[in-house]
Amino acid sequence: MDAGERVAVVGASGAGKSILLAVANGSVPATAGTVEVLGADPGALSGRALRQLRARVGTVHQHLELVGQLRVVHNVNAGRLAAWPAWRAAWSLLRPQWLPEVLAALTELELADRVWERTDRLSGGQRQRVAVARVLVQRPELVLADEPASALDPVLADRTMTLLAGTGSTLVASLHDPALALRHCTRVVGLAAGRVVLDSPAAGLSLADLSAFYGAPR
Amino acid sequence: MTAVLTPVAAPAVLRRDGVRWAWGLGTLVVLGWSLAGAGLFSGAVVNGAGTRQFGRFAAAALSPATDGAFLGVLASSVLITVAYAALGAALAVGLGAVGAVAVARTTWGRRRLGWALARGALAVPRGLHEAVWGLLLVNLLGLDPWVGVLAIGVPYGAVTAKVFADLLDEVPRGPYDALRATGAGPVPAALYGLLPAASGGLLSYSFYRLECAVRSAVVLGLIGAGGLGYQLSLSFSSLRWPEVWSCVYALSVLCVLAVVAGRAVRRRVADPRPAGDRLRRDPLLTTAVLTTLAAVAWSWWYLAVSPATLVSDRTGDQLRYVLAAAWPPDVDGPLLSAVASAAVDTVQMSVIAIAVATVGAVLLAGVAAHPVRPTVARRLTGAVVRAALLVLRAVPPPVWALVLLFVLLPGILPGALALGVYTLGVLGRLAAEATEELDPRPRAALTALGAGPVAGWLYGALPAATGPVLAYALYRWEVAIRDTVLVGLLGAGGLGALLASRLAVFDWGAVTTVLVALIVLTTAVDLVSARARAALR
Repeated sequence: MDAGERVAVVGASGAGKSILLAVANGSVPATAGTVEVLGADPGALSGRALRQLRARVGTVHQHLELVGQLRVVHNVNAGRLAAWPAWRAAWSLLRPQWLPEVLAALTELELADRVWERTDRLSGGQRQRVAVARVLVQRPELVLADEPASALDPVLADRTMTLLAGTGSTLVASLHDPALALRHCTRVVGLAAGRVVLDSPAAGLSLADLSAFYGAPR
Repeated sequence: MTAVLTPVAAPAVLRRDGVRWAWGLGTLVVLGWSLAGAGLFSGAVVNGAGTRQFGRFAAAALSPATDGAFLGVLASSVLITVAYAALGAALAVGLGAVGAVAVARTTWGRRRLGWALARGALAVPRGLHEAVWGLLLVNLLGLDPWVGVLAIGVPYGAVTAKVFADLLDEVPRGPYDALRATGAGPVPAALYGLLPAASGGLLSYSFYRLECAVRSAVVLGLIGAGGLGYQLSLSFSSLRWPEVWSCVYALSVLCVLAVVAGRAVRRRVADPRPAGDRLRRDPLLTTAVLTTLAAVAWSWWYLAVSPATLVSDRTGDQLRYVLAAAWPPDVDGPLLSAVASAAVDTVQMSVIAIAVATVGAVLLAGVAAHPVRPTVARRLTGAVVRAALLVLRAVPPPVWALVLLFVLLPGILPGALALGVYTLGVLGRLAAEATEELDPRPRAALTALGAGPVAGWLYGALPAATGPVLAYALYRWEVAIRDTVLVGLLGAGGLGALLASRLAVFDWGAVTTVLVALIVLTTAVDLVSARARAALR
C-alpha cells in the first residue's frame, strides 16, 4: 500500500485482522513470506534501529493495553516515549510534559475534562479515546488501528476516524462497521481464514458488498 | 446532536490525592528523622580499618569448609534445628487447634465482649519474638530442650489459633446447622459439617508454619538453643570464615527444602487430584503428613524432651519467684526514659530497614522475575540474583549485623542495615512475584511504539507494581519491628538490648516494663501499617 492511503481491513472474527496488524507493528514475527513496513523489515532490525522504526508506527490495540494505574495524561504522553530521553519520561511522571498537545488531542476527543483522572476509573469508550489520543501525540507515519471505534457512539466514532485519517499518515484500520469503512477509507481489504479475498478501492463498493464479510466465516 | 459535542473545559491544574500525599510526606519525614537518629548526618559511621577483615570474610564464600569432621558437626546441627522446628510447629498446631475453638466467633456467638477479650489475650504471646520467649524460658527452665520447643510453639500457637479460628469462621454454616437440626451433637456436626470444608486451609497453614519454624529454630540457636544457628555463631566468633560459609550454605539449602516441600503441599491442597474409582488418599499429602508425624516422634526422642521438667518442683518454684518479682512493673523515671529512648531507636531501625529493603526490592524485582522472553544472559543474571536473595533471607539478621560490624562503627545503623539486608531477601522475592503477575501487554504496547527499556519500565511496569509492593513493604514493617528486638537482643541497641541487659541482672520488674512497651509498640506499628495500607487502596 502507498503512503497516505487509508485502508480498511474487514472480515469476520478470527479472519486474521488483528494478527495482520500485530505483524505490521513488529510485535509478532512473520512465520512465512516477507514483511516490509515503511521500507524496512522489523524482523531484521534490532536495538536502536528497531525502536526508531517502531516510533514511526502508532497502534491502537484491540484491548487498548493502557496502564490503568496511571493518570490519563501519562497514558497519552506514553506516545512520546520513543522520542523522549529516559530522564524526560521520568520527569514527566512528576510534572506532566507536553500538556498543551495532550489537552489538544483530548479536546478533539471530548475527554479534556478527564485528563487528571486515573485511567482505570474511565469507561470503556473513554479509555478507547485515551488510546487514540496516545497515537495522536505520537504523530506516527503509519497508524494501525484495531477496532478503534468499537465502543464509541456514532458521532464520536466518525470524529475518531477523521482524526486518525487526518494525521496525514497512512492508516490501516480493522473495522466492524462497514459504513465507517466506506466513509473514511480509500481502499478495502477483505480477509477470510487468514487470506486476502478482496482488495478494491472503496469508491466501487457498496454496503451490501461488505456485509457479506461479517458473520460466520463460510 | 450539538449538545453532545459541547466541549468541556479542562481542569487547569493537576489535583493530587491529599491523603496519599500526606502519607508519602509523612514517610519521608520519618525516614529523614530515622537516618538522622542513626547518625548518618553527624560524624563517621564507616570503620575503614575493617575492610580487610571483610574482604577475607567475603573471599571465603568460594571456599567453604568441607572437611569430614566439620561436615559431621554440621549434619548434627542441621538435625537439631530440624528437630526443634518439627516439635515447635507440632506444638503450635496443637495449641492453635485448641485456641481456635476458644477464639472463634462460632464459639462465642453473640457474646461480643468475651470474644474480644479472648482475641485480645492472644496479642500478648503474639507480640513477643520467639527469641524473647527463649530468653524468658531459659530463666524458668534452665538449659532444657523445652526452651526451644516452647519458644517456637507458644507465639506460633497464638498466631495459628487466630488463623485457624478465621478459617473456621469463614466456612458456611448451612451444613452444620442442617446436621444440628437432624439431632447431631455439636462435635459430630462440626466434624462432618465444618471441618471438611476448612481442612484444606488448616493443612496448608500448618505446613506454612513448619516452614517458618525452621527459620525460628535457627534464630533460637543463635541465643544458645543449639543447632545450625549456634554453630554459625560459634564459627563466627572464632573467625573461621570457611566454616561460617558452610553454615550459610547449609541454611540456604534447608530453607529451600522447607519452602519447596511446603509449597508442594499447599499447591496440592489448592488443586486436588480427581478421585479414582475406589477410595484413595492423595499420595503426596499422605506422605507429607506421615513424614511429619514420624519426624515429630523422632524429634522428641532425638532432643530427649521430658515432660517431667515442665512439672518439676524446681520449675514451679522458679515460676512463682519470677511472677512475684515481675509484678508490679518498675515505673521509676530513669527506667521509663531509657525505655522511651530505646523505643525510638527500635522504630528508627525498623524504618531504615524497610526503606533499604523496599528500594532494593523495587530495583531488583525486574531482574529477579522470571523473564517473559528469556535470553541466556538474562536467564543467568536472573538465577544469580534469585540465589543472592535466597542467601540474604536464609541468614538471620543478627549474623548480618555481625558481618556489617566489620565495616561500620557500632550503633543502630549496622543493626538497621542488617535487618534491611535480610528483609530485602524476603521483599525482593515478593516484588519479583508481583512483577511476574503483572499484565505484560501494556508494556508490550509501549515497546511496540518504540519506548526504550527504562521508559517502558517507568510507564508500563512501575505504576502497576507500586501498590502491591508497598503493601508488602508495610506488612514486612510489622515483621521488622519484631525482628528489631532480635537484633537488639544480640547487641544492636533498642528495646531488645535493654531487655537483654535487664534480664542479665534478673531485674524482673524492669523486664515487665520493657515487655509491656514492646507489646504496645508492635500493636501501634500494626495499626499504623493497616491504616497506611487502607490509604493505598
